[in-house]
Amino acid sequence: MTRFLLDRVGRLGRFLWSGWVGVAGLALFAAIWQQGHEAYGDFILPSPLTTLQATAELLRADETWRLAQATSARAIQGFLLTAVLGAVLGIAVGYSAAAMRLARPLLTIVMGVPPIAWIVLAMIWFGSSAGTVLTTTVVAAFPLVFANVAEAVAMRDRALEDMAKAFGAGPFQRLRTIVIRHVTGQYFPALAVALGSTFKVAVMAELLANIDGIGVALAMSRSNLDVAQSIAWVVIIVAVIFVVEYGVVQPVRAELERWREAARPWGVRR
Amino acid sequence: MSVLSLHNISHAYFGRTVLDRVTLDVREGEIVALVGPSGCGKSTLIHIAARLIEAQRGRVASAYARHGMIFQEPRLMPWATAEDNIAYPLRLAGLGRHQRRARARHAADVVSLDRSDLGKYPVELSGGMRQRTAIARALVVEPDFVFFDEPFTALDVALKRQMQDLVIAAARQARFAGLFVTHDLAEAVRVSDRILVIDERVRGIAGERFIALPAGARDDAAVFATVQAYLKEDPLFAHIYDRDERLAS
Repeated sequence: MTRFLLDRVGRLGRFLWSGWVGVAGLALFAAIWQQGHEAYGDFILPSPLTTLQATAELLRADETWRLAQATSARAIQGFLLTAVLGAVLGIAVGYSAAAMRLARPLLTIVMGVPPIAWIVLAMIWFGSSAGTVLTTTVVAAFPLVFANVAEAVAMRDRALEDMAKAFGAGPFQRLRTIVIRHVTGQYFPALAVALGSTFKVAVMAELLANIDGIGVALAMSRSNLDVAQSIAWVVIIVAVIFVVEYGVVQPVRAELERWREAARPWGVRR
Repeated sequence: MSVLSLHNISHAYFGRTVLDRVTLDVREGEIVALVGPSGCGKSTLIHIAARLIEAQRGRVASAYARHGMIFQEPRLMPWATAEDNIAYPLRLAGLGRHQRRARARHAADVVSLDRSDLGKYPVELSGGMRQRTAIARALVVEPDFVFFDEPFTALDVALKRQMQDLVIAAARQARFAGLFVTHDLAEAVRVSDRILVIDERVRGIAGERFIALPAGARDDAAVFATVQAYLKEDPLFAHIYDRDERLAS
């Protein structure tokens, strides 16, 4: 038990320590930004410090938290729906070679349609409601998750399945003990990407369909020509994505992929 | 009394007949080796016997209670520790965690797998330890029948010997019967009671030999002499080292 806890604490420590590199990257980014600010002036590109102040000001207002919560709730709804639908349909289709072949051109079509077109369609179908946001986020993120899961199931390790069969596992037991574990290797990276795109598309849909949330706040600060506040809203969105990804998605992935960590030889620089 | 019997098994891949009306019986406590060149259908035969593939014609009847199987590659689940891999058949059988752990540890002791290695993942284990894990996984169910599908082909000579000794000792202690596929005649002479030669030209069993040596008297010299005698004097073994991959494919 103590070893179990120590393992997790060690992982958290390593993650926090690797944060220094992230801070260095951000500092570099801020330096380039500052250069841009000095070259183009306050109106086009406010300085990083001004933006930070604007962000802090926004964070002090209760309204900001309400808007961020509204947007997050919609995006997370879309994300969860994507995660469940992608996994279930992906597994179902991955098992059948014929369904795989049928699904590929459909995916190409769905992925080929730009999200903005889906927003327009969804607005016609659902009006300015949460349904519009949900539809567009799912349509934008689902194909990626679905394709990854289906591909992983199709590429599953038949040798391991034969082994399971030799020890008396039925089809359902093989799915539960072999296939699903194999699929998670592709599922979580796809989820991490899907998470980012659901938030981005959710904000876009809110902005275009005028649905109360960060998207609308962004549109307002644009019409007020308040560039610092616009960027501050972007900072808040990125922060929310960061919290969800490193607070939920990555810890679950790390827990399921402990064996990959073990495969890493000692002394490899992270 | 036979614990496994195959009756009139026929099988073809894409119209090419590999096995044609093969009949074989394995008696209680008996280890039967299937030898033959690669591509002769011995792997297909054991897969049919283990019910991994369905024979196109013929009947498989088994009287054993529990069976295990060892493959050429260890086939361990990379995401599970050695202990969880060994306990996998027990998990399928629905045993509780404590019972699984106790029996997996016992099986690991039988194949002399170190306790400290049980918490490791397969990637952290050496090739020999992985195969030991796979053997332990087959033995953990306390089988009365074990399928061996060229289990030690990929191992080096010294390791191969150790593993053979392990199987011989386990078979003597647990009294299980088995079907042992190999293309190494010396291995067949060391571990089995009876050798069946599979031949592509007859699409099945060309003949059988009982090994005259008692199980306790199979030292290197005796095994070598038996193998030489088979290869030089017995027409049955004339083709077992023919390796024409074009025919085999």
